[in-house]
Amino acid sequence: MSAPRLLRAQLRSKPANGHVAFIPHIRKLVFEYCDKWPSSAHTRSFLLTRLQSLARQNPHVEVVVKQRHHKEPIVRGFYANSRDKVIPLNSLEVSAIQRKVDLLLDSSGAKIKPLKRRTVESTTEATRGIWSGLHADRPSI
Amino acid sequence: MRRIAPLRTFVARAAHTNAVVPSSTASALELIRSQPSQYVVASFAGRKYILTPRDMLTVPHLRDVKIGDVLTLDEIHELGSREYTLRGNPVIPSSRVKVEATVVEHTKGNMEYKFKKKRRKGYRKTIQHKQPYTRLRIGDIEIPIEQQS
Repeated sequence: MSAPRLLRAQLRSKPANGHVAFIPHIRKLVFEYCDKWPSSAHTRSFLLTRLQSLARQNPHVEVVVKQRHHKEPIVRGFYANSRDKVIPLNSLEVSAIQRKVDLLLDSSGAKIKPLKRRTVESTTEATRGIWSGLHADRPSI
Repeated sequence: MRRIAPLRTFVARAAHTNAVVPSSTASALELIRSQPSQYVVASFAGRKYILTPRDMLTVPHLRDVKIGDVLTLDEIHELGSREYTLRGNPVIPSSRVKVEATVVEHTKGNMEYKFKKKRRKGYRKTIQHKQPYTRLRIGDIEIPIEQQS
Protein backbone atom coordinates (compact mmCIF):
# COMPACT_ATOMS: atom_id res chain seq x y z
CA MET A 1 0.00 0.00 0.00
CA SER A 2 1.67 3.25 -1.12
CA ALA A 3 1.81 6.23 1.24
CA PRO A 4 -0.96 8.85 0.68
CA ARG A 5 0.07 11.75 -1.58
CA LEU A 6 1.25 14.78 0.40
CA LEU A 7 0.18 17.98 -1.34
CA ARG A 8 2.19 21.17 -0.84
CA ALA A 9 -0.91 23.14 0.19
CA GLN A 10 -1.51 20.75 3.12
CA LEU A 11 1.74 21.86 4.73
CA ARG A 12 0.67 25.52 4.92
CA SER A 13 -0.63 26.94 8.20
CA LYS A 14 -3.77 29.05 8.22
CA PRO A 15 -3.40 32.32 10.13
CA ALA A 16 -5.66 32.77 13.16
CA ASN A 17 -4.29 35.62 15.26
CA GLY A 18 -5.96 35.54 18.66
CA HIS A 19 -6.86 31.83 18.60
CA VAL A 20 -4.21 30.74 21.06
CA ALA A 21 -1.84 33.72 21.18
CA PHE A 22 -2.67 37.29 20.26
CA ILE A 23 -0.11 39.58 18.64
CA PRO A 24 -1.23 43.23 18.32
CA HIS A 25 -1.29 44.29 14.69
CA ILE A 26 0.14 47.77 15.10
CA ARG A 27 3.93 47.99 15.31
CA LYS A 28 4.83 51.69 14.85
CA LEU A 29 3.25 55.13 15.23
CA VAL A 30 4.95 58.10 13.57
CA PHE A 31 3.91 61.65 14.45
CA GLU A 32 5.01 64.30 11.96
CA TYR A 33 4.58 67.95 12.89
CA CYS A 34 5.90 71.43 12.08
CA ASP A 35 7.58 73.61 14.70
CA LYS A 36 6.35 76.94 13.28
CA TRP A 37 2.95 76.69 11.64
CA PRO A 38 -0.18 77.22 13.78
CA SER A 39 -1.92 74.17 12.24
CA SER A 40 0.47 71.98 14.27
CA ALA A 41 -0.24 73.80 17.57
CA HIS A 42 -2.64 71.19 18.95
CA THR A 43 -0.37 68.39 17.76
CA ARG A 44 2.58 69.98 19.56
CA SER A 45 0.60 70.26 22.79
CA PHE A 46 -0.51 66.60 22.42
CA LEU A 47 3.10 65.51 21.96
CA LEU A 48 4.20 67.48 25.02
CA THR A 49 1.39 66.35 27.34
CA ARG A 50 -0.03 62.93 26.32
CA LEU A 51 2.56 61.14 24.26
CA GLN A 52 4.70 59.67 27.02
CA SER A 53 1.77 58.07 28.87
CA LEU A 54 0.50 56.71 25.55
CA ALA A 55 3.87 55.11 24.82
CA ARG A 56 4.01 53.64 28.32
CA GLN A 57 0.52 52.13 28.08
CA ASN A 58 1.35 50.53 24.70
CA PRO A 59 4.78 48.96 25.11
CA HIS A 60 4.34 46.88 21.93
CA VAL A 61 4.25 50.02 19.76
CA GLU A 62 7.34 51.89 18.55
CA VAL A 63 6.53 55.60 18.83
CA VAL A 64 8.46 57.99 16.57
CA VAL A 65 8.25 61.80 16.45
CA LYS A 66 9.50 63.54 13.32
CA GLN A 67 9.62 67.13 12.13
CA ARG A 68 7.97 67.91 8.82
CA HIS A 69 8.64 71.57 8.11
CA HIS A 70 5.96 73.78 6.54
CA LYS A 71 3.52 70.90 6.18
CA GLU A 72 0.28 69.91 7.93
CA PRO A 73 0.65 67.53 10.88
CA ILE A 74 -0.08 63.84 10.35
CA VAL A 75 0.09 60.55 12.23
CA ARG A 76 1.05 57.34 10.47
CA GLY A 77 0.37 53.84 11.80
CA PHE A 78 2.43 50.92 10.47
CA TYR A 79 0.96 47.44 10.78
CA ALA A 80 2.18 43.87 10.71
CA ASN A 81 0.50 43.24 7.33
CA SER A 82 2.92 45.85 5.84
CA ARG A 83 0.14 48.41 5.27
CA ASP A 84 0.03 51.85 6.78
CA LYS A 85 -2.75 54.25 7.73
CA VAL A 86 -2.26 58.02 7.56
CA ILE A 87 -4.53 60.48 9.40
CA PRO A 88 -4.18 64.27 9.07
CA LEU A 89 -4.37 66.16 12.37
CA ASN A 90 -4.56 69.77 11.21
CA SER A 91 -8.12 70.63 12.24
CA LEU A 92 -8.26 68.52 15.41
CA GLU A 93 -8.15 69.43 19.08
CA VAL A 94 -6.06 67.40 21.56
CA SER A 95 -8.95 65.10 22.58
CA ALA A 96 -9.79 64.47 18.93
CA ILE A 97 -6.12 63.66 18.22
CA GLN A 98 -6.30 61.15 21.10
CA ARG A 99 -9.37 59.52 19.49
CA LYS A 100 -7.61 59.23 16.13
CA VAL A 101 -4.56 57.68 17.78
CA ASP A 102 -6.83 55.18 19.58
CA LEU A 103 -8.40 54.36 16.21
CA LEU A 104 -4.95 53.56 14.82
CA LEU A 105 -4.00 51.48 17.87
CA ASP A 106 -7.22 49.44 17.69
CA SER A 107 -7.09 48.80 13.97
CA SER A 108 -5.59 45.76 12.27
CA GLY A 109 -4.30 47.60 9.22
CA ALA A 110 -6.54 45.60 6.91
CA LYS A 111 -8.31 47.49 4.13
CA ILE A 112 -11.74 48.78 5.13
CA LYS A 113 -14.27 46.31 3.76
CA PRO A 114 -18.03 45.93 4.15
CA LEU A 115 -18.60 44.06 7.42
CA LYS A 116 -22.40 44.28 7.63
CA ARG A 117 -23.01 40.77 6.29
CA ARG A 118 -19.79 39.09 7.43
CA THR A 119 -20.84 37.96 10.88
CA VAL A 120 -18.90 34.72 11.20
CA GLU A 121 -15.91 34.04 8.93
CA SER A 122 -14.84 30.45 9.34
CA THR A 123 -12.05 28.35 7.84
CA THR A 124 -13.21 25.22 9.75
CA GLU A 125 -14.97 22.59 7.66
CA ALA A 126 -18.64 21.94 8.46
CA THR A 127 -18.73 20.03 11.78
CA ARG A 128 -21.87 18.08 11.02
CA GLY A 129 -20.72 17.24 7.49
CA ILE A 130 -22.24 18.40 4.22
CA TRP A 131 -25.30 16.59 2.92
CA SER A 132 -24.88 14.92 -0.42
CA GLY A 133 -27.74 13.54 -2.47
CA LEU A 134 -25.51 10.81 -3.88
CA HIS A 135 -24.59 9.48 -0.43
CA ALA A 136 -27.95 9.61 1.34
CA ASP A 137 -30.62 6.96 1.85
CA ARG A 138 -32.91 6.76 -1.15
CA PRO A 139 -36.25 8.35 -0.19
CA SER A 140 -39.15 5.95 -0.20
CA ILE A 141 -42.82 6.77 -0.26
CA MET B 1 -24.15 -4.24 -16.59
CA ARG B 2 -21.70 -2.49 -14.30
CA ARG B 3 -21.58 -3.46 -10.66
CA ILE B 4 -22.44 -0.67 -8.23
CA ALA B 5 -22.02 -2.76 -5.08
CA PRO B 6 -18.98 -0.79 -3.73
CA LEU B 7 -21.03 2.46 -3.73
CA ARG B 8 -23.88 0.71 -1.88
CA THR B 9 -21.55 -0.55 0.88
CA PHE B 10 -20.12 2.94 1.29
CA VAL B 11 -23.66 4.33 1.62
CA ALA B 12 -24.47 1.71 4.30
CA ARG B 13 -21.43 2.76 6.30
CA ALA B 14 -22.11 6.48 5.95
CA ALA B 15 -25.75 6.23 7.03
CA HIS B 16 -26.86 7.53 10.40
CA THR B 17 -25.34 5.86 13.45
CA ASN B 18 -27.70 4.08 15.78
CA ALA B 19 -29.29 6.44 18.31
CA VAL B 20 -27.63 6.32 21.71
CA VAL B 21 -29.06 7.66 24.94
CA PRO B 22 -26.13 8.17 27.33
CA SER B 23 -26.86 7.62 31.00
CA SER B 24 -25.23 10.80 32.30
CA THR B 25 -24.09 14.22 31.11
CA ALA B 26 -20.49 13.16 31.57
CA SER B 27 -20.88 10.21 29.16
CA ALA B 28 -22.70 12.48 26.68
CA LEU B 29 -19.85 14.98 26.82
CA GLU B 30 -17.38 12.10 26.44
CA LEU B 31 -19.13 11.02 23.23
CA ILE B 32 -18.96 14.56 21.84
CA ARG B 33 -15.36 15.04 22.93
CA SER B 34 -14.29 11.83 21.19
CA GLN B 35 -15.33 13.17 17.77
CA PRO B 36 -12.81 15.10 15.64
CA SER B 37 -14.60 18.49 15.60
CA GLN B 38 -17.26 20.28 17.64
CA TYR B 39 -19.40 23.42 17.35
CA VAL B 40 -21.34 25.57 19.83
CA VAL B 41 -24.50 27.65 19.50
CA ALA B 42 -23.88 30.60 21.80
CA SER B 43 -25.52 33.95 22.51
CA PHE B 44 -23.25 36.95 22.22
CA ALA B 45 -24.31 40.60 22.53
CA GLY B 46 -27.97 39.56 22.30
CA ARG B 47 -27.66 37.38 19.18
CA LYS B 48 -27.12 33.64 18.65
CA TYR B 49 -24.30 32.36 16.49
CA ILE B 50 -23.01 28.94 15.42
CA LEU B 51 -19.32 29.05 16.28
CA THR B 52 -16.35 26.75 15.78
CA PRO B 53 -12.74 27.27 16.90
CA ARG B 54 -10.62 29.75 14.86
CA ASP B 55 -13.71 31.65 13.64
CA MET B 56 -13.66 35.43 13.26
CA LEU B 57 -16.85 36.89 14.79
CA THR B 58 -17.85 40.46 13.86
CA VAL B 59 -20.28 42.24 16.19
CA PRO B 60 -21.26 45.91 16.57
CA HIS B 61 -18.75 47.92 18.61
CA LEU B 62 -18.35 46.78 22.23
CA ARG B 63 -17.57 49.71 24.50
CA ASP B 64 -15.75 48.31 27.53
CA VAL B 65 -13.27 45.97 25.86
CA LYS B 66 -9.74 46.62 24.65
CA ILE B 67 -7.94 44.65 21.99
CA GLY B 68 -6.25 41.57 23.40
CA ASP B 69 -8.94 41.05 26.07
CA VAL B 70 -10.20 37.48 26.43
CA LEU B 71 -13.95 37.02 26.94
CA THR B 72 -15.63 33.77 28.06
CA LEU B 73 -18.87 32.79 26.34
CA ASP B 74 -21.25 31.98 29.20
CA GLU B 75 -24.50 31.52 27.23
CA ILE B 76 -23.89 28.28 25.34
CA HIS B 77 -27.20 26.83 24.24
CA GLU B 78 -25.96 23.84 22.29
CA LEU B 79 -22.80 21.81 21.93
CA GLY B 80 -22.54 19.42 19.03
CA SER B 81 -20.33 17.29 16.82
CA ARG B 82 -20.91 15.29 13.67
CA GLU B 83 -23.24 12.72 15.18
CA TYR B 84 -24.19 13.96 18.67
CA THR B 85 -25.75 17.15 20.06
CA LEU B 86 -26.17 18.30 23.62
CA ARG B 87 -28.79 20.96 24.26
CA GLY B 88 -28.65 23.10 27.37
CA ASN B 89 -31.63 23.86 29.64
CA PRO B 90 -31.57 26.73 28.68
CA VAL B 91 -27.77 27.01 28.89
CA ILE B 92 -24.96 24.51 29.34
CA PRO B 93 -23.05 25.57 32.47
CA SER B 94 -19.54 26.86 31.91
CA SER B 95 -18.13 24.17 34.23
CA ARG B 96 -19.02 21.65 31.47
CA VAL B 97 -18.01 23.56 28.34
CA LYS B 98 -15.62 26.49 28.11
CA VAL B 99 -15.21 28.69 25.04
CA GLU B 100 -13.14 31.87 24.99
CA ALA B 101 -13.00 34.70 22.48
CA THR B 102 -10.13 37.18 22.06
CA VAL B 103 -10.84 40.73 20.95
CA VAL B 104 -8.71 41.20 17.84
CA GLU B 105 -9.63 44.68 16.66
CA HIS B 106 -12.07 47.57 16.64
CA THR B 107 -12.71 48.62 13.04
CA LYS B 108 -15.24 50.45 10.98
CA GLY B 109 -17.11 49.10 7.96
CA ASN B 110 -17.02 50.87 4.63
CA MET B 111 -18.72 54.22 4.10
CA GLU B 112 -22.49 54.07 3.53
CA TYR B 113 -24.22 56.95 1.79
CA LYS B 114 -27.85 57.82 2.39
CA PHE B 115 -29.35 60.41 0.09
CA LYS B 116 -32.51 62.20 1.23
CA LYS B 117 -34.59 64.44 -1.00
CA LYS B 118 -38.04 65.99 -1.05
CA ARG B 119 -38.88 67.11 -4.54
CA ARG B 120 -39.87 70.69 -5.36
CA LYS B 121 -39.05 71.73 -1.77
CA GLY B 122 -35.37 72.46 -2.07
CA TYR B 123 -34.55 69.80 0.54
CA ARG B 124 -31.71 67.42 -0.19
CA LYS B 125 -28.97 66.07 1.99
CA THR B 126 -26.43 63.24 2.00
CA ILE B 127 -25.65 61.32 5.18
CA GLN B 128 -22.32 59.49 5.37
CA HIS B 129 -22.01 56.70 7.92
CA LYS B 130 -19.34 54.18 8.92
CA GLN B 131 -20.57 51.56 11.40
CA PRO B 132 -17.95 50.64 14.03
CA TYR B 133 -17.46 46.91 14.65
CA THR B 134 -15.52 44.72 17.06
CA ARG B 135 -13.95 41.52 15.73
CA LEU B 136 -13.24 38.53 17.96
CA ARG B 137 -11.38 35.30 17.35
CA ILE B 138 -13.04 32.21 18.88
CA GLY B 139 -10.68 29.93 20.82
CA ASP B 140 -10.84 26.17 21.31
CA ILE B 141 -13.93 24.44 22.72
CA GLU B 142 -12.77 22.93 26.02
CA ILE B 143 -14.80 20.08 27.51
CA PRO B 144 -13.02 19.33 30.80
CA ILE B 145 -12.96 15.71 31.99
CA GLU B 146 -15.01 15.31 35.17
CA GLN B 147 -12.78 14.49 38.11
CA GLN B 148 -14.31 11.72 40.27
CA SER B 149 -13.52 12.81 43.84
